[in-house]
Amino acid sequence: MPTAPIETHHESPYEKRLVARLQAGESEALSALFDLHVDRVFAFARHLLGSREDAEEIVTEAFLRAFQRATAFRGECPFRGWLFGITRNLCLDRLRQPRLMLLEPEAMERHTDHGQAAAEMETSLVVRQALAQLSEEHRLVLTLCDVEEWDAHEVAAILEKSLPATKSLLYRARRALRTQLTTLWDEEEETHDAL
Amino acid sequence: MRCEEIRSLLDAHLDHEMGEELNRRLERHLLRCPACSYEARTLEQTRSMLREAVPPAVPSPGFRERAAARLLDALPELHPASGRTAARQWALPFSREET
Repeated sequence: MPTAPIETHHESPYEKRLVARLQAGESEALSALFDLHVDRVFAFARHLLGSREDAEEIVTEAFLRAFQRATAFRGECPFRGWLFGITRNLCLDRLRQPRLMLLEPEAMERHTDHGQAAAEMETSLVVRQALAQLSEEHRLVLTLCDVEEWDAHEVAAILEKSLPATKSLLYRARRALRTQLTTLWDEEEETHDAL
Repeated sequence: MRCEEIRSLLDAHLDHEMGEELNRRLERHLLRCPACSYEARTLEQTRSMLREAVPPAVPSPGFRERAAARLLDALPELHPASGRTAARQWALPFSREET
């Protein structure tokens, strides 16, 4: 599957040298590139897939593929953008597979660790439900901009949109989440009143 | 400023992307206009609820080590030449060049 280049960020000379060394087959360069990019690539996959376990598998696979295909990388975009392209394709393949919807272990850990009150946990579940009902594009722009707080330029590059189009998408996504939340809470109120 | 103009600026206000003067004018309007004030407040509430419900993505403990081990295992197959020295190289702390 062709991988679209993504102009994510300004690549430093250090990164460029690492990529050249990766292309020469140096595993040490892969190790360094892994350390540099793993957190962002993981966050991207995690929010796209909605599952930490799946994201961890995909991220490992993405780095493997990057190493395997390093010689095909022509440097037309930053290495991270190329890696995001590989990751996105792998995520889309994964999303096409039938999946079991399970409660994320990290959500459970968070609530258990902090002894969060039941009411707050219920609110969180409704917010997650509302988020899950949004389009994939809305979900991704909201989580990358408002949760991860990434620079809008980088999110625009990942979404392959201009900066104004990305901001406009973000603004619509915020309103869509608000509408979805209102609807869910209205339904909950009605059910409560009917009991 | 008219309500329509104010509504189009609420996200920039939320993201702290507005200049001081414009910000002051917007805040004055919000004090006087309950409808725009409601709009601003609910947008802000929605974002804080989202941040509360969805934490930034963090891999599980040991993920980096597991992933590094898997990459190391696969190296000889992917790049036979690099695979021979991979274990030694991966184990050594990477001496970072200037960034």
